[in-house]
Amino acid sequence: MKLSDRLFGVVVILGALAYTAGAFQIQASFMSDPVGSKTFPLMLAGVAAICGLIFVFRPDDDPAWPGRMTLGNIVIAVLVMVAYAHALKPLGFLIPTAICAAILSFQISPRPLPAAITGLGLSIGLFLIFKYALGLGLQPLPKAWLG
Amino acid sequence: MELLSNLALGFSVALTPFTLFLAVAGCFLGTIIGALPGLGPSNGVAILIPLAFSLGLDATSALVLMTAVYYGAMYGGRISSILLNIPGDEPALMTTLDGYPMAKAGRAGDALVLSGFASFFGALFATIGLMLLAPLLSRIAYQFGPSEYFALYLLAFSTLGGIASRNQAKAALASCIGLGIAMIGLDNQTGMPRFTGGNLHLMDGVDFLVAIVGLFAVAEVFVFIESHGRESSIGVKLGKVTLPVRDLTKGIGTMLRSSVIGFIAGVLPGAGASLGSFLAYMGEKNVQGEKGGFGTGVPKGVMAPEAGNNAAAGGALVPMLTLGVPGSGTTAVLLALLLTLNITPGPTLFTDRPDVVWGLIASLLIANFVLLAMNVPMVKMFVHILSVPAWVLLPGVMMISFVGIYSLSGSYFDLLLMIFFGIVGWMFRKLDVPTVPIILGILLGNHMEDALRRAMILSDGDWRFLFGFRWHSSPGEYEFYSAIPSSLLVLAVAGFVAPIFLRRVIKKPQAVSD
Amino acid sequence: MQTKIRALTLGAIMSVAGSAALAATECIAPANPGGGWDFTCRQIGKILYDIGQVDSPVQVTNMAGGGGGLAYSHVVNERGDDNNLIVAASQATATRLAQNAYAGLTADQVRFVGAIGADPGVIVVAADSPFMSLGDMVDAIKADPGSVAFGGGSAAGGFDHLKVLMVLKEAGFTDITKVKYIGLDGGGDAITQTIGGFTQGMTGDMSEIVGFLQSGEVRALAVLTEERVPGFEDIPTAQEQGFDVVAVNWRGLYVPKGISDADFEAWGARLQAVADSQEWQDAMVANGLAPFTKVGGDFQSWVDGVIADTVELSKEIGVIQ
Repeated sequence: MKLSDRLFGVVVILGALAYTAGAFQIQASFMSDPVGSKTFPLMLAGVAAICGLIFVFRPDDDPAWPGRMTLGNIVIAVLVMVAYAHALKPLGFLIPTAICAAILSFQISPRPLPAAITGLGLSIGLFLIFKYALGLGLQPLPKAWLG
Repeated sequence: MELLSNLALGFSVALTPFTLFLAVAGCFLGTIIGALPGLGPSNGVAILIPLAFSLGLDATSALVLMTAVYYGAMYGGRISSILLNIPGDEPALMTTLDGYPMAKAGRAGDALVLSGFASFFGALFATIGLMLLAPLLSRIAYQFGPSEYFALYLLAFSTLGGIASRNQAKAALASCIGLGIAMIGLDNQTGMPRFTGGNLHLMDGVDFLVAIVGLFAVAEVFVFIESHGRESSIGVKLGKVTLPVRDLTKGIGTMLRSSVIGFIAGVLPGAGASLGSFLAYMGEKNVQGEKGGFGTGVPKGVMAPEAGNNAAAGGALVPMLTLGVPGSGTTAVLLALLLTLNITPGPTLFTDRPDVVWGLIASLLIANFVLLAMNVPMVKMFVHILSVPAWVLLPGVMMISFVGIYSLSGSYFDLLLMIFFGIVGWMFRKLDVPTVPIILGILLGNHMEDALRRAMILSDGDWRFLFGFRWHSSPGEYEFYSAIPSSLLVLAVAGFVAPIFLRRVIKKPQAVSD
Repeated sequence: MQTKIRALTLGAIMSVAGSAALAATECIAPANPGGGWDFTCRQIGKILYDIGQVDSPVQVTNMAGGGGGLAYSHVVNERGDDNNLIVAASQATATRLAQNAYAGLTADQVRFVGAIGADPGVIVVAADSPFMSLGDMVDAIKADPGSVAFGGGSAAGGFDHLKVLMVLKEAGFTDITKVKYIGLDGGGDAITQTIGGFTQGMTGDMSEIVGFLQSGEVRALAVLTEERVPGFEDIPTAQEQGFDVVAVNWRGLYVPKGISDADFEAWGARLQAVADSQEWQDAMVANGLAPFTKVGGDFQSWVDGVIADTVELSKEIGVIQ
């Protein structure tokens, strides 16, 4: 089966088309610049589209995609990271880091206790390193708790 | 002697206690990073850049620290190759071919010591080469106008593609993606916003650090989740570490040949360390012939690629410093560091900032000796680090990446973008689309476009200018003013096309992808 | 959002206290650490505290984005009456405001409080160039506009580009869109291209060319100041050569619009004190700046004039409609 590359090729072509459309949105240049703001992006879109066509018609063999379980794990990891990105500012460094690191650790090796210890250890250890060795202005806990 | 006085200046910068401390610390960190499976020089340097920046280091200190990490990671990369059969980074790949069989045969200690010496030899050779060649190369600078630069950038992308992937079209696509991302933000020439969708965060473009950390470090986490950390158990026990003098003396010729090949490969813009170790190994295999037994666990099979990749690492600094064109993924990251520090590498760097350049060169010389000490007598210590299990290591890498990017901009938009790049990086790895050209594209995209546009302004839109022809209105004829643009363009085309044919002749090992 | 709340709280506290002297002064550098604006904030902030003009150390905040636009909109929208806020500015701020590069914000939404140093504009040629004076160069362009290409460190339409156009306009050359200009990554690159013969002239700041002047690889045809620059007395001004153009990249500050006239005058006086200090004199020498002090109402009207000129010129070349 060579479905992956064919599909990828189609996505690339669609992306190139979208990029082309985006390039035409750029406001016209004011100066006597023979190339202008659009030409180079359009050239890139052209080359990318050719590459996409090559994938569609001369695809490589399929890579080994992970099973449904693993894919689910990766989706969870992504969600955890996104949540972490949002939590970092309001909740401070320590709590989100401990939780996020523990979940990631659990996903790599599914044992609850070592994962929890990893989370806690990383959270506190990294905080000490960042705060005192590197002097980053990290906020440890939610603002409300600190008064 | 200009060279000697320059070196003296360099050592006066490098031998301050603080700089020396940074060099040692960088070597130590770098060796650890290189030894960790999956964390190579590019990732290591990328993760540490935001932190170095928040430390408020001045330009020279930051550069010394980061290049020490770079060299350290090049040394360290061999450790996991030999002991685990997992290259710590892409250039260390070739070292697995003979290193792991040697280790399985009970000669792990010998393999580590010999490869350590080979690394030292290659790196020292390259540092001396850098010292002698870089100032010469920098004089070419005044010969480089817009057309020349455009051709040079094209050469960088085409040759990089040749080694980064097994599929030339995928490498080309990766370059386009990187260049396309670089277009986001305000147009350099006119100040018009492009592809921003009105988003204020995108006005200044996509920060290359966000892309680098996402594509390398975050993607690595996904790879490990997928494998459930299976790859992290130590496969081979390390026995006694002694110095195999006989193997070492017999291998001097090998190291010298490999260093020359590696250095030349490194100097070529866009080639880099992977090509260096690959060519050095293939070259030495041909020299030794059938009797050499390459691939079965012979000492020379370990020494050739290690000398080659370390020499290439040093060689890659030449185009990065003198022309502002990085020769590899890691030098691309170093270029990013320099730009962040307001140093524009390029022809004028050697005259504008001799303290930075010669301080760096002196530090590299010092770092080599530090690394030899760390990697030969003290190699056992680093082997222990490999026993840190992936389920501690990867979450740690992840958290460091987050804090690094967050401390840089304080915006969660950048964090989300980083996660997005991580997903893309993981999928691209599956699809064998190399990620190094993407980084290079983001870094060089605006420069490449600017070069093209400047050339066209100067020539009033006459494309023949790109090939070195200049129109003279008074006699009314074209003048072939320089052979540089055409030569570079020919090289670029050859660099892109050659691997397609070569690939049919030489079967490259499976894993040579990003 | 959070900054807004913080600003509001700060405002509330200050109105209760009834005095500004309690809070520490903040200086916003609208760029990352390391650039000119960052330098302005850190130097002026340090000297303000060292010479006792403020009671506590000035806190420097870097707010990069949109070429200074992010900081500008922050000040206009959220800090409009904060009398403990100063923001680093330069000619680039004025040029961008004139060319409407800050998303609709205008120059009258803040008050320009003073400049205390400037990087003089220069026009430079390679050592072997046939042009011996600014007049030679202008004549050549008049005869064949395509024969002379300029390189500079700013984008097309930016200040380096405008310098050349100002000179040519002054010389009576009207077809200024025909002038060839390429924007390079900084003055160093522009000089390299000029020495290499790819461009025939370089337009930039004095600080960018000092090294190349000393090595003898370039000659400065003119400096765009009212008087010759100390230390470079052999370079004639454009005015001496009959082109009445003054273009300097000044370094200074703006403050929010809503502060009282008394507060505005107070900032002007503090800036004057910095300008007069030995520390600032040393800092200027170390960074290639020439003396250029204008504070308070004087400076505001001077900036207004510069912006009006830039608007006019920008319209002529089509940067803005």
